[in-house]
Amino acid sequence: MRRLSWRLGGGNAKGVTVPPMDGALKPNRALEEAADVVRIPAPDNLVRDGDRLRFTCGPILYSMDTSAGAAAVTEVTRFDSDVSALACDGAGGYAVGLDSGDIVYWGALGGLAPIRPAVRLAPTAMTFDGHGKLYVCSGSRTHRPSGWKRDLVERNESGSVWAFDGKTGHGVCLADGLAFPYGVTLAGGGDAILVAESWKHRLLLIETATDREVREPEVVLDDLPGYPARIAAGSNGYWLSIFAPRGQLMEFVLREDEYRQRMINTIDPKFWMAPSLASGRSFLEPLQLGAIRTMGALKAWAPTRSYGLLVHLDSRYQPTGSAHSRSDGTRHGVTSCLQWEDRVLAASKGGDLVLSLPVDEFAGE
Amino acid sequence: MAALLQLRGITKEYRGNPAVKDIDFDVVQGEVHAILGENGAGKSTLTKIMAGVVEPTAGTMTMDGKTVGFASPAEAMAHGITMVFQETSLVPTMSVAQNLYLGEEKLFNRLRGVYIAAQQFLQSLNFPVDPTRDVASLGAAQRQMVEIARSVRANARVIIFDEPTASLTPEEKGHFFSLIRRLVARGVTIIFISHALEEALQISDRITILRDGEHVVTDKTSAFDRDSIIRAMVGRTLSHEVYGEGQSRKARARGERMLSIQNLSMGSMVKNTSFSVYSGQVTSLFGLIGSGRTETAKLIAGIFKRKSRNGGEIKFAGRSVRYRTPRQAVKDGIVYVTEDRKIEGFFETMSIAENLQVNLAAAGLNRGQIVNMAELRELADHWVKALNVRALNGDARVIELSGGNQQKVVIARSLLQKPRVVIFDEPTKGVDVGAIVEIHQLIGRLADSGMSVIVISSYLPEILAISDRVLVYRQGRVVEEFSPQDATTEKIMYAAVH
Repeated sequence: MRRLSWRLGGGNAKGVTVPPMDGALKPNRALEEAADVVRIPAPDNLVRDGDRLRFTCGPILYSMDTSAGAAAVTEVTRFDSDVSALACDGAGGYAVGLDSGDIVYWGALGGLAPIRPAVRLAPTAMTFDGHGKLYVCSGSRTHRPSGWKRDLVERNESGSVWAFDGKTGHGVCLADGLAFPYGVTLAGGGDAILVAESWKHRLLLIETATDREVREPEVVLDDLPGYPARIAAGSNGYWLSIFAPRGQLMEFVLREDEYRQRMINTIDPKFWMAPSLASGRSFLEPLQLGAIRTMGALKAWAPTRSYGLLVHLDSRYQPTGSAHSRSDGTRHGVTSCLQWEDRVLAASKGGDLVLSLPVDEFAGE
Repeated sequence: MAALLQLRGITKEYRGNPAVKDIDFDVVQGEVHAILGENGAGKSTLTKIMAGVVEPTAGTMTMDGKTVGFASPAEAMAHGITMVFQETSLVPTMSVAQNLYLGEEKLFNRLRGVYIAAQQFLQSLNFPVDPTRDVASLGAAQRQMVEIARSVRANARVIIFDEPTASLTPEEKGHFFSLIRRLVARGVTIIFISHALEEALQISDRITILRDGEHVVTDKTSAFDRDSIIRAMVGRTLSHEVYGEGQSRKARARGERMLSIQNLSMGSMVKNTSFSVYSGQVTSLFGLIGSGRTETAKLIAGIFKRKSRNGGEIKFAGRSVRYRTPRQAVKDGIVYVTEDRKIEGFFETMSIAENLQVNLAAAGLNRGQIVNMAELRELADHWVKALNVRALNGDARVIELSGGNQQKVVIARSLLQKPRVVIFDEPTKGVDVGAIVEIHQLIGRLADSGMSVIVISSYLPEILAISDRVLVYRQGRVVEEFSPQDATTEKIMYAAVH
């Protein structure tokens, strides 16, 4: 039947294509040339608490006095499991999503009730709304946040977005069946949330002000050339981190069921032909010994599985500017971002550093 | 030096309207003589009279001191005058060699012998054209080479070129100029019409300028510069007006992404190219001839059918589309304004109104089966006025218009189909400077109104003058993108070549 379907032009017969990086997404070297804030292994989850920057590396929560530079990084606390999501309520309290699936409070949270969802969550991103509500993205029903690569190659669509009441701890599922929601921020004047649906390369707007049971997410930005991660509100719009690029070869592999199954069963996930936060660190990675003939000369070449990309969106959620670390760069795997006055901070999880860029230069027109 | 060819008081009228009026013109043996002027200035008419294509209404022509009159191009050729036309006169279904030896066939022809002779002859001219290939499969530049080779073969004493370099790459132009020098060294006289003023200044010995069918000036090339030529052609300095040289301009703001071209491929011409086109902007595609720009545009507009499995993807306003015919694209709002207007742009013996009617019907915008001629005339008059077409009214036949006005008719035909994306392929090719300004202004107005405009152009000053984004094509794909602030002729050319 598959062969017949292919011959008739259906099913997987369509060519493998990826959207171009041009216009507002025109490549540059801005991330590569950006100023270092701190060099630390796999930083993630940038949030602001007053004058302090909080971020996580694995199970450790760090705090940093930005005015004092890298020397002012201090360890705040250490959790049992890697931190996969972090939100600050602006009053010194935090909600911390762990790779184990737990959501815990830390610090003075002004009387929030403990959150004990009825279903198992994989918290990938969270944000407070300022009225005691916590919005949580759960990436998958079957995998932990750290198992994102497996969730992608299995082509799961079991993610969900939840709203938890701070007073009662009661949670409501706002949207289900999503393909790995990986970023959330308030939008639409606080009446909606903007969610990054990573495996479908798009942004969704989900109404929160309504009492309706079923909320139909609205696609506000589609066909991104990479996998979106955390979103942060900024001046005149939003900042969107894209943690890995789309490539024709990777898209092709995602369509080939038998190949993927064998890859899952036989190869270490580090070396899968799949998006990655960093690449080129081992000769065992796919196609590292590849080559291409250009102008008669054989040149070493391999399709990149990692990239660094930070995008500014306007208030209509359309890209207006971007900062890149290209295939030959090292500041890849940008999973989190945050606007800090006239600069934007980005956590390059693949490049092991937090970096900073001037907003005006990359926010576009 | 005695004149080889003398024209005295030459006048040619069409229906009482003079195309050229009382022109005196001399050509000296072994010179390169450039004839310049706006479209409609009478350059083509004058050279066609010399080549026997049209007969003058009044005036005399003498060659080697004897009065001559040519009733046909064959008679002119017998006197050693040939003309290489802008639109080639080759037989597309025949091979290059067969075209070269057309008219000289014997009763029994050994094809291999013809191919070998053609190969040797083409090599002697340094033209890299395979003599066994069908002319239909050649690009514009190679067709031009075959056309030139045919004239050289005829041992002509005077060769007239009409826009010989319009479709040649810079490298091919170099070959062409060295060929001209070799021909001149053999005593051949070259007359050429060109809109590229720099070329005229570079290659010619003397320049003649016509305006509105009248002779303005003939002088040695050293007596002219670019501005003085333009002043003589149009009566005013247009350099700044035409291309806004030296003026900085800001790009229009990006609107919605109307087209997303993803990994588009077609044979060896378009190779896995990707780019986006936004509403409210002029997106220019620059590249050398053969870089795949026109083929990409034709794939977008449904003129070429895209392969479903390995042809890539075209998304129009977020929707994946695959047009099998241009009609489907037109109905969606994508129109293509051809670079080859005489072949693909209009029906030359039909009136402006009738040409417009054809496009109305193609877009499905006509009402019913019966054509209301009064309405159609009104529509034609509207477009004649809107685009400043210099014609009496909508009943004028397109063949009677000058190149610039014909181009405006082609544009009008597309615009009346209410497009959302307009693709202009070489919109000012063979168009006079006055019309260039008007076409540029029109392109700007279309973008200002929110339309997505794609302009394919081989002329860098034009690209720099009108673009909000410049995409550079090389070997079948977009390799570089420039904003107006970043773009310079050097950077663009470097990206296109290296």
